[in-house]
Amino acid sequence: MRNNKLFTAILILMFIFLLGPFLVIIIASFGSETIMRFPPKGFAMTWYEKAFAIKMFRTTFLISLKTGLAATFTALVMGIPAAYAMVRHNFPGKSKVELFFSAPAIVPGLVVGFALLRFFIYYTKMPVIMGLYLGHTAILFPYTVRVVSASLRNFDPSVEEAAVSLGSSPLHSFIAVVLPNIRSGVIAAFILAFITSFNNVPISLFLTGPGVSTLPIQMLVYMEYYFDPTIAALSSILIVFTVIIIQSAEKVLGISRYM
Amino acid sequence: MNQINIKRTLLLLLLPGSVFLLFFFVLPLIFVFTESFHGSTGELTLLRYTEVLKSKQFHFVYLRTLKIALIVTPLAVLVAYPSAYIITKMTAGKKSVMMSLVILPLMTSPVARTFAWIVILGRFGLINQTLAAVKVTSEPLRLMYTEGAIVAGLLQLFMPIMVLTLVSALENIPEEVEEAALSLGSGKTGTFFRVLVPLSFDGLIMGVTLVFTGCITAYVTPAILGGSKVLTLSTLMRQEALVLMNWEGATVIAVIMIVTTLVLYNTLRLMRPRSL
Repeated sequence: MRNNKLFTAILILMFIFLLGPFLVIIIASFGSETIMRFPPKGFAMTWYEKAFAIKMFRTTFLISLKTGLAATFTALVMGIPAAYAMVRHNFPGKSKVELFFSAPAIVPGLVVGFALLRFFIYYTKMPVIMGLYLGHTAILFPYTVRVVSASLRNFDPSVEEAAVSLGSSPLHSFIAVVLPNIRSGVIAAFILAFITSFNNVPISLFLTGPGVSTLPIQMLVYMEYYFDPTIAALSSILIVFTVIIIQSAEKVLGISRYM
Repeated sequence: MNQINIKRTLLLLLLPGSVFLLFFFVLPLIFVFTESFHGSTGELTLLRYTEVLKSKQFHFVYLRTLKIALIVTPLAVLVAYPSAYIITKMTAGKKSVMMSLVILPLMTSPVARTFAWIVILGRFGLINQTLAAVKVTSEPLRLMYTEGAIVAGLLQLFMPIMVLTLVSALENIPEEVEEAALSLGSGKTGTFFRVLVPLSFDGLIMGVTLVFTGCITAYVTPAILGGSKVLTLSTLMRQEALVLMNWEGATVIAVIMIVTTLVLYNTLRLMRPRSL
């Protein structure tokens, strides 16, 4: 049993390393000084007020939100049928298609963003916001296929076959029988894809232009010029939101299964 | 359904995603790739490559990036293996709590997650304040903008990936295998190293692949914790493109980054016992 004690100690230390920094930043965000100090001196909400007062953060938050929702929706619309085809059918070249569908998750995001900038924005003169939306959709697609596939595999195909043999059309049986049964997988895919888009930096880094930028990129830009704890306050808000979303998604959907 | 109908359905199901990826993912990548072999007047040349590959700065940054990945990956394995083992032994409810905590760093905004390290490593951060309070150092240590800072940040990001892959690999080993080894006289340590590790080797290689390639292409962590002082491949590429406006150089670095990842990906796949 000596072994298990050592291993448990390692597990605890790992959690301190993984989650400790979050606690530290939340505490530091309430400091009253203009420098980042830990432990902070004094208590103030100044940095939270400042974070909300800066217009660029509000504008880019809305762009991140809209891009995330639009890209997630598009990726799901293409990803659900693709996942269905991959799980329910066998066809020649299936493993190649599988590799192709997961490629956007393998190729470095920085390169994808750079390529989209060079080709679409400079070469075909596409608006930056369009490039941002398309780039995000491309990297979310593999997530939606993977998560929806996982939940389709847990759904007994004979239920659907019964519906078809009772005279329901394949499309109707998909909507009426399959979709409701993989609902939690689709919701999990939606949450994971949206968070991935909302947090993305590598793709968005190259796809910014006049009036177009995302919240994470704007935070990086701000950090280049100011060292005050405004970013700590903003980060703390994002951390708390993520904790709430992930914990409730774990309770309701068991979201870590899909990672 | 007859054969032709099935084919048509399959095509309809796969077409939207495939067409989208061809246009908005493959096409731009091919464009950048071919662009990297063209000179200023459009002639075919390797000039762009020789220019980057000759540069001392590039050599230095490339080796540093590999070095950082070579430090982070084994550290992640060392901590993740025992942790994953303990997690697989837990009851379903407890395991779910553990997993939701493990994935938190992965799901948190990378800017927020990395900024936390500034509070820990900064001039007035947790470590320097502690050292000053116990009077070990008179001057604050420079911990930010170092390779060590990047290693710490990357470790926090990639440890969860290693734990996730190892948990699913260890879960697939039947409980009886471990019990059999124990009852046949293999000690706890022996069972772990000679039975469980070999049986989860496939998952280990997968985790190593994800972490190693992830370290090489990570952007936010080196950008914040290394800055322009300690460049890695990805921050160098960004600097070439967006600061120095050297598109040629950035394009070549992009291609080198993809080639490096693909080579690593395939080399490590060869090591997998049940390679696909």
